[in-house]
Amino acid sequence: MVARRRKRVARESREEIPSPPGYSAIPIKFSEKQQACHYLYVREHRVREGTNSSWPQKRTLFVLNVPPYCTESFLHRQECLSRLLSPCGSVQSVDLQEKPDLAESPKEPKSKFFHPKPVPGFQVAHVVFQKPSGVSAALALKGPLLVSTESHPVKRGIHKWISDYTDSVLDPEALRVEVDTFMEAYDKRIAEEEAKAKEEDGVPDDEGWVKVTRRGRRPVLPRTEAASLRVLEREKRKRARKELLNFYAWQHRETKMEHLAQLRKKFQEDKQRIELMRAQRKFRPY
Amino acid sequence: MGPAPAGTQLRGAAGESEVMEPSMEGTGKEGKKESSKKRTVAGSPVEGLLQPVKLSRAELYKEPTSEELNHLRETENLFHSSLLRLQVEELLKEVRLSEKKKERIDAFLRKVNQRIMRVPSTPETELTNQAWLPAGVQVPLHQVPYTVKGCFRFLPPAQVTVVGSYLLGTCIRPDINVDVALTMPREILQDKDGLNQRYFRKRALYLAHLAYHLAQDPLFGSVRFSYTNGCHLKPSLLLRPHGRDERLVTVRLHPCPPPDFFRPCRLLPSKNNVRSAWYRGQSPPGDGSPEPPTPHYNTWILQDTALESHVQLLSTMLGSALGLKDGVALLKVWLRQRELDKGLGGFSGFLVSMLVAFLVSTRKIHTTMSGYQVLRSVLQFLATTDLTSNGISLCLSSDPSLPALADFHRSFPVVFLDISGCLNLCADVTASTYHQVQHEARLSMVLLDSKADDGFQLLLMTPKPMIRAFDHVLHLCPLSRLQAACHRLKLWPELQDHGGDYVSAALGPLTTLLEQGLGSRLHLLAHSRPPVSEWVISQDPPKHRDSGTLTLGLLLRPEGLTSVLELGPEADQPEAADFRQLWGSRSELRRFQDGAIREAVVWEAVSMSQKRLIPHQVVTHLLALHADIPDTCVHYMGGHLDALIQGLKENSSTGEEALAAAVRSYDDLSRLMWGLEGLPLTVSAVQGAHPVLRYTEVFPPTPVRPAYSFHEHLRERASLLPRPDKPCPAYVEPMTVVCHLEGSGQWPQDAEAIRRVRAAFQLRLAELLTQQHGLQCRATATHTDVLKDGFVFRIHVAYQREPQVLKERRSPEGMISLRDTPASLRLERDTRQLPLLTSALHGLQQQHPAFSGVARLAKRWVRAQLLGEEFTDESLDLVAAALFLHPEPFTPPSSPQVGFLRFLFLVSTFDWKNNPLIVNLNSELTVEEQVEICRGFLATRTQLPVMVIVTPQDRKSSIWTQDGPSPQILQQLMVLAAEALPVLEKQLMDPRGPGDIRIVFRPPLDMYDVLIHLSPRHIPRHRQAVDSPAASFCRGLLSEPGPSSLMPVLGYDPPQLYLAQLREAFGDLALFFYDQHGGEVIGVLWKPTSFQPQPFKASSTKGRMMVSQGGELVMVPNVEAILEDFAILGEGLVQAVEARSERWTV
Repeated sequence: MVARRRKRVARESREEIPSPPGYSAIPIKFSEKQQACHYLYVREHRVREGTNSSWPQKRTLFVLNVPPYCTESFLHRQECLSRLLSPCGSVQSVDLQEKPDLAESPKEPKSKFFHPKPVPGFQVAHVVFQKPSGVSAALALKGPLLVSTESHPVKRGIHKWISDYTDSVLDPEALRVEVDTFMEAYDKRIAEEEAKAKEEDGVPDDEGWVKVTRRGRRPVLPRTEAASLRVLEREKRKRARKELLNFYAWQHRETKMEHLAQLRKKFQEDKQRIELMRAQRKFRPY
Repeated sequence: MGPAPAGTQLRGAAGESEVMEPSMEGTGKEGKKESSKKRTVAGSPVEGLLQPVKLSRAELYKEPTSEELNHLRETENLFHSSLLRLQVEELLKEVRLSEKKKERIDAFLRKVNQRIMRVPSTPETELTNQAWLPAGVQVPLHQVPYTVKGCFRFLPPAQVTVVGSYLLGTCIRPDINVDVALTMPREILQDKDGLNQRYFRKRALYLAHLAYHLAQDPLFGSVRFSYTNGCHLKPSLLLRPHGRDERLVTVRLHPCPPPDFFRPCRLLPSKNNVRSAWYRGQSPPGDGSPEPPTPHYNTWILQDTALESHVQLLSTMLGSALGLKDGVALLKVWLRQRELDKGLGGFSGFLVSMLVAFLVSTRKIHTTMSGYQVLRSVLQFLATTDLTSNGISLCLSSDPSLPALADFHRSFPVVFLDISGCLNLCADVTASTYHQVQHEARLSMVLLDSKADDGFQLLLMTPKPMIRAFDHVLHLCPLSRLQAACHRLKLWPELQDHGGDYVSAALGPLTTLLEQGLGSRLHLLAHSRPPVSEWVISQDPPKHRDSGTLTLGLLLRPEGLTSVLELGPEADQPEAADFRQLWGSRSELRRFQDGAIREAVVWEAVSMSQKRLIPHQVVTHLLALHADIPDTCVHYMGGHLDALIQGLKENSSTGEEALAAAVRSYDDLSRLMWGLEGLPLTVSAVQGAHPVLRYTEVFPPTPVRPAYSFHEHLRERASLLPRPDKPCPAYVEPMTVVCHLEGSGQWPQDAEAIRRVRAAFQLRLAELLTQQHGLQCRATATHTDVLKDGFVFRIHVAYQREPQVLKERRSPEGMISLRDTPASLRLERDTRQLPLLTSALHGLQQQHPAFSGVARLAKRWVRAQLLGEEFTDESLDLVAAALFLHPEPFTPPSSPQVGFLRFLFLVSTFDWKNNPLIVNLNSELTVEEQVEICRGFLATRTQLPVMVIVTPQDRKSSIWTQDGPSPQILQQLMVLAAEALPVLEKQLMDPRGPGDIRIVFRPPLDMYDVLIHLSPRHIPRHRQAVDSPAASFCRGLLSEPGPSSLMPVLGYDPPQLYLAQLREAFGDLALFFYDQHGGEVIGVLWKPTSFQPQPFKASSTKGRMMVSQGGELVMVPNVEAILEDFAILGEGLVQAVEARSERWTV
């Protein structure tokens, strides 16, 4: 079956490669040695009027189905695609994402200490060219693109895992510095907030309302769900203590009836259980 | 075993249906299809799922009718609960004989009667002259010695009576037997026929002649001989109807003497009726010693004379009381599930009926009692009465001529006299069998008293085969060795008494010997009873040695297993001689620390696993010494599975010691952490959270001593790195430890800031441990790795309030509420529940030393089936813990072997859909709470995971099974377990040895669509494989401790890294299966839905391609490219990608 399919693929590559409407397909292979290709489905990045998008119109290429080996390493992950597409025009930036999402990923690089890099799968990319001509050139690309070449070998398998392991052994000093800077900024922010709160304490706002905080002179009950539930519970208990049980005749009657109802319910439950067991032939002992 | 159908089943089930099939297939219940009526399940919910009952208010609170009240009251008084009542009724329906069948049987019996009466008579001949017997029939008796006085002729029976349970209506399906007594005419018998087996010879000839003539008759489908209850002197003739009724009924013909022919006083247990001169062919020894009594021989004759009186007694006692009959039927099921009722000396249904009659006569049972109450009373009686010392009697008369109970106790181990006062009904029951019955009765009583909901299921529906009930099992084979043993043990009188049946003659003395030798190690010793064989009439009866093997089951006492010493009496005591006599040359005089000089036996055993096998040494030694049975004849099944959890180079230990060493090192580390000076906050708790620290890591860690030349160095971080040009270095998994710090107001209240502060603590911890204790440490933002004694610990600093901070939500009104988030749940699981579970299971191991072995074997097996990654480590540990905490109807396992078998049984039979598995750690849950949990479970079933495990710490959510397995994977595991269990049990019950024990551990590979073969060079745990490779690669370890310590390569396992990539990239299209313990193959299974062409969607293009099918553009998986990706992603690790394209089509 594989052979049959291979023939079909060979035939198709001579003709037009099928692609979804609006997209064009660019075959991509890991290296010369591979027989079959994956297909990048690309189109110009367009958004509806009024939608916010951080990628420039006209100059951005939207790429689907980027294979997992299209990243070189953590630090230079964008490089691979921009190298592949650079013949079409110089590339300004490449953004790789898990899922197609209009919002751009946050620009600031995440801390390598606190956000270990995820394992790459198939991804989507937004490639921003310097000029709009790059997009049209890319749309006309015939391929197949080669990810790993003699001049730019891409690491994978054992070599990649070893380099990943090496990368994962991080410098504790750098970590300390990062933590210290963060905490300094955090402490400063908290101090500011507190100062502000203190300033506002006891001062009525425009309409004359005073905000009561837990830092006031007389601390109040914290406004949490748990606390309010606790109060309700206490009330309920207080009421239950006062109630008389089995005092009136009707209470007796009702308790008895309740007991009977429980038994009936249990009986129904048991019958259902038995039905099920019978259906599963659980009563055949051996 | 190649469960190819299982694969297709998984595939079929893996489609859209999320419903598990009830696991009745493959659990050994096939072969009964003829009665698998399609019952209409009225009112029962679809999909076999229980749902909470909803009754309308009007229905719940309507006025009760008196009938209903009566029913409810009866249930309350006579049964434990209404569920039990219904269950018992259903069971009785299942085992009762239907009226229709009864009619057919009655018709058959009438015909049998006619046919028997028509058998022609023969002229009288000498007993030794058997030439008159036609060819084609053999005498169903071993006539040794052959010469015997007396004459025989055949005459039709004087009377044909149906006796036994069929008449009473207490016989149970399947295997309906109807016992028919044929009273031989007085003319056949002569005076003194009781002597020297003459009566038995005549009985056998009588049957032989009958058999020949009945075999000619087309009415019978089969005419065969069998031994009555396994007794070699008493054959009986089995008749089965011809045609479709062949399996309906077996009529057993028992010839018996005319009433009052034998005088009971001649057959008392102290009398001799087999003369030595005749039996041994020599004159009695001249010293005038009296002939030895032949109590068993006498009993067998008496049994024949009392057939009718017994049936009369039973029918008067049980005749009209339905409850009693129900009770007897239940008891029979109970006995049969425990394999107690078959064979010579079994505790048969007849005995139980007599016992019920006895209890009725002593007013312990009333005729109005329900079946359940009868069952309960009899079990209670069995559990509390010791018939081996205080016999009971049905005889009411106080005739002084009758022998006293004490006379019977001298001759028989168990005494229960019938109404005549002369016949011991329990004559053939050995003390071991009786103790086993008592043990079972006690267990059952505990179960009945415990108010457990499912007592019925465990008591009456769960089979207890020997291999699953006893910790160790041993087979004696070939049985002919027992003949020599009898001579060695000087058992000639017993042989004479048993008519040469050396197996039953030797059984009693042998079990006593072993019980004595095993002493404190033993809880219970049980033996299999010789099976009742059947043979066709043209064959000679089977020899004693043909009755298979003798299997002994040992139930061990875990506390007795730890000692290697058998302490004897002090040397000058008179008992010392007995001790020396028992142990022979193994007994040595030893001087002990307290100054005493004692006889003692010391066994060679160092490790836990060797100590567990000391009973093997004891048994072989004693059998060789006292019974001349060489160890080649003793096949001991106790430690065969140990090999699967043994480390790489050691053969003597199953790793308990290595685990203990790691735990000791951890204890040291936690002490160091407690004492650390200079931490801004003090350590408030150090808790283990790794399988090693609860003794359930399959292969315990060994101290690592890496060879530097084998690694790349990262000097400035004091770490070693793997080198691309070398094989993958040894796998070192850091053991996780959670470290709680004391509470403080200084902690920030912001999740991001807390993470930074924790990171600062990690750094500080590493610094201090290096400074103050010289330990090699490496800190990261989330953990600190510490190298200590060659073990690596991974310390996570935890802040108690962090989960709460993660949960906090502020509503627009400013109300703060707590809502679970994935991050908070994960953190809670890792820092709270996991340490709790680890310490609880650590405690369980201290209580039950076999826990470690069982849990590890279970995990080893699940992982070997390539399903290990679908189940969390903790969930499997909890299932194993359930075997110890809820062992009913068994006792907690004391050996890994029996525990593993029960694990397979539990997995293959547990109904996960309708029941949570409750693991009551530290017995924290009360019965009421458990009932409440079950009710809550039913109400929320659809929101819960497929497999629900409840512990006292985790009563609702079943956290360890939240992320899997999927219903299909669980179903697959159940199927595999159901196939593995009988295979393994058969292997272990095979007296010739188990053969290749690893069969059930090898996974079936034919179900996978693609196999990715990995190169052993880069599998660090290659040597842990089920079939351990003869040679593997050097992993860069030194045998001697190296100079300084650099941090070894941690957690670097290329197959796991590869799998993570595969799952991330192709998880939508396929499932990947791998055995982390040295598997060389990754099995890939395409998801059935992934091959269906889909319309284009920008969000699901992963690995797919566009094709035009019938003019339409659709997306299909780009299979060729994906197969090549498998190789690209795993370059260096992947040896070959084997696409089994015949299994799928795009």
